[in-house]
Amino acid sequence: MARKPKAGGFVPTVVEVEGRTETRIVEVPAFEPAPWTDQASLHIVGTNVPRMDAAEKVTGRARYTADIERPGMLHAYILRSTVPRGAVRTFDAAAARAMPGVFDILGPGDAPAKTRLFHRDITYAGQPVAAVCATTLREARAAAHAIVVEYDTLPFAVTFADAVAPDAPSVRPAGNTPAVSPLVIARGDVDAGLQAADVVITREYRTPVQLHTALEPHGAACEWDGDRLTVWESTQGIFRVRADVARALDVPQSNVRVIKDYMGGGFGAKNGAGAHTYVAALLARRTARAVRCLNDREAEQLDSGNRPATVQRVTLGAKKNGTLTAIRLSADVPLGISGWEGGPAQIYHEMYACPNVRSEERFAYVNTSGMQAFRGPGYVEGAFGLESAMNELARELTLDPLALRKKNFAKKDPRQGRPYSGNALLECYEKAASAFGWPPAVDGSPLTVNRQPLTRSSSTPTRTALGRGLACQVWPTGGGPPSYANVRINNDASIDVLAGTQDLGTGSRTVLSQIAAEALGANIAHVRAVIGDTQSLPYAGNSWGSMTTASVGPAVRMAAEDARRQLFDAAAAMLGTTPDTLESRDSRIVVRDTDRSMTFAEVTGKLGNVMIQGKGSRGPNPAGVAINTFGVQMAEVEVDLDTGVVRVLRIVAAHDAGRIINPALAESQMQGGILQGMGYALFEERIVDARFGVALNTSMHDYKIPTMADVPEMTILWADGADSTANHTGARGIAEPPVIPTAPAIAAAVADAIGAVVREIPLTPWRVLGALAAP
Amino acid sequence: MRLTVNGRVHDVTVRDDETLLELLRERLALTGTKLTCDRGECGACTVQLDDATVYSCLTLAVACDGAAVRTVEGLAPPGTLSPLQQAFIAHDAAQCGYCTPGQLVAAQALLDRNASPTEEEIRAAMSGNLCRCGTYPKIVTAIRAAAGTESGTAEETIRGA
Repeated sequence: MARKPKAGGFVPTVVEVEGRTETRIVEVPAFEPAPWTDQASLHIVGTNVPRMDAAEKVTGRARYTADIERPGMLHAYILRSTVPRGAVRTFDAAAARAMPGVFDILGPGDAPAKTRLFHRDITYAGQPVAAVCATTLREARAAAHAIVVEYDTLPFAVTFADAVAPDAPSVRPAGNTPAVSPLVIARGDVDAGLQAADVVITREYRTPVQLHTALEPHGAACEWDGDRLTVWESTQGIFRVRADVARALDVPQSNVRVIKDYMGGGFGAKNGAGAHTYVAALLARRTARAVRCLNDREAEQLDSGNRPATVQRVTLGAKKNGTLTAIRLSADVPLGISGWEGGPAQIYHEMYACPNVRSEERFAYVNTSGMQAFRGPGYVEGAFGLESAMNELARELTLDPLALRKKNFAKKDPRQGRPYSGNALLECYEKAASAFGWPPAVDGSPLTVNRQPLTRSSSTPTRTALGRGLACQVWPTGGGPPSYANVRINNDASIDVLAGTQDLGTGSRTVLSQIAAEALGANIAHVRAVIGDTQSLPYAGNSWGSMTTASVGPAVRMAAEDARRQLFDAAAAMLGTTPDTLESRDSRIVVRDTDRSMTFAEVTGKLGNVMIQGKGSRGPNPAGVAINTFGVQMAEVEVDLDTGVVRVLRIVAAHDAGRIINPALAESQMQGGILQGMGYALFEERIVDARFGVALNTSMHDYKIPTMADVPEMTILWADGADSTANHTGARGIAEPPVIPTAPAIAAAVADAIGAVVREIPLTPWRVLGALAAP
Repeated sequence: MRLTVNGRVHDVTVRDDETLLELLRERLALTGTKLTCDRGECGACTVQLDDATVYSCLTLAVACDGAAVRTVEGLAPPGTLSPLQQAFIAHDAAQCGYCTPGQLVAAQALLDRNASPTEEEIRAAMSGNLCRCGTYPKIVTAIRAAAGTESGTAEETIRGA
């Protein structure tokens, strides 16, 4: 259990960010509120408060970065390399400079080194070569394409095999593989575990490059006022953008203000400043105008990050009763030209109680655009390998795949032996099985001839087959410090919750307001969350890793508790009592067991401009505890045996994320995650032509994401109970978990339907037909 | 040229290569309508043009002379919400909200021509409007609620316009 640190002073604490463990030195808060346990009587937390910025969104009033207009604003367009590797031989912008509306052009050598922009050396197709700003975007784009760029081309490597070949071209000067590669993580003795096994299977699985495809592209609008810069940026991390810009342009952080009000999706790709930010800032400084730079759709699909592809060779060993004796993974991951080593291995070590696990991940840089975190990075890819292999193992053992999971349930963190702050995965298994009907009734052949698929309007009879499958997930969701919040009670008793976080569409504004209203005993309609501005708000970290609620939520609660204490102090004097006799609800303070009360507004009215300001911060994580979200998803599919088209009919998802602050918003996020996982399973794949080293499908027509017509019936279930060990709000994260098990569950259902396993996603018709045709 | 946008008449001079989307966003400051793919693939720029639902990124402004355009800003008088907008709020049919204006215009156009669409009709009519957050099920529910084909009534919303 957690040892309570002494208030005041600094202590080390462990924070897991998307599978990466970081130790941070953080200050201990002045006080930590007692956890909201299952017994806590809560009135606003746990209810379906409508999304508090929904009215702005449904009226078109919500202003996104792409909507920012400033007086005299110019538009910038980035010209990108058309070759994957080489050098800019000639760069002639004379004609472009003379074109109408053009104000300025940046080319090779024109940007500070720390922006890493406009190198003459080209290392991937899509690399920024130049930027033009003009009165209109149309003029900027036309001028950019009038720049004459000639390249000396060089041999390139866009596949893992090409990058690691003995005679491979140089992808990056320091080498084609990162220093950590091969990355080996091991516990126990896998060879001994395999020898002890009754059954051993080895399979190879492949996953594609998936593109984030946020509807609002990456973009920034920048405006200088003397030496002070304002950046409007579509970002998941305003403070990180501030740090990036300050460092790259060599200006103090206090001179850079980053604002993000609304954003049109991030999904992991918008975690810092990018070429668009630096281009806008540099051109704004040179032209003394505001400049907006947005990726167009092609640039967004080409060079704004992606989930890297993997090849995973998986070996599982098990006893006849299903007990795992060994898990071995050997994976190849081409990262693109840059990125971090977010490989598929983590989930292999964390999902099941298996004493012998060894993973070896080999990473390579290749001449394609760099990867970025994408919702559940590593775990989504890894789950496809691990969970597909588990399903194949179940078949080999003639065991129910759910029984196999239960047999290998991890009672504690299998990697470090830490207890979990909470783990209701077994409850999730029961809830999902009950809702879905698992195990499916054995009714002979699942083949249903002459059944009309739901989407087909033709009257031609078709042959279809039904199948069902499941897969599980684990994801680190503890969040952690540092994160700060202030709560201000204005003299009309309206309440501002100030936190330097951001709402990606996840509902952070609403959830943080609910936490503040609950802690204050305030009417939620009087509470407003103010977020997304580095100049006026206290620090919060990036909104990534399903961390925001568990990181910022406790800071908001503490600030609200601090504000309530002060409000009660003031009210006690007015009511002629002591603060410990007071309680509040719906913005009214009541003297317990009496009929004496005052509204918040009556108290603050008497205080006049004496402002109540509560301060909160996120305390350290409990030591020696693993904090994860767990879950299982079950899928039912229909496969057209003539065309190979897979249609997902229904998904049942049951997850344990501790307390759910707002079930309606959580359900929306789960549905969205499942659909992104379904796209990954069925359609989504960036295709690079290996002969030319260029991406082929950089439009939304050629890169398919799910549409409304593809949506299955979805049932979202939660395990009961708050996690009062993880933090004092009892909530863990949920953003990424629904993506993780979706693809392997669908693939298992397809295998069930067609009697053959497709080990490569997306499960396109030709792959399905290929599996059907295989002997 | 002259066009009517959300009931207001505008006399404007446009370039021959100017799209309706550019006209709406840049000249008329109606930024609710979004630019996402710029080639008629995603539906974020959907507006109503007379009786048709069009992608404004693919519609030349000059072709709209004399036409009536309705955007998200014209779904209800300022300060009020249409039943469809209220249903979107009540059923959480907007996550990041970027596709929402296009979804709303497409959904309103559907309801205008078919007051009680079935779920299949909704899916067919709305499948040209992409949503990367995956809000589709809530959008279907909201449209059915606004049409009165969903059992139960829209919940009281806490915040109005």
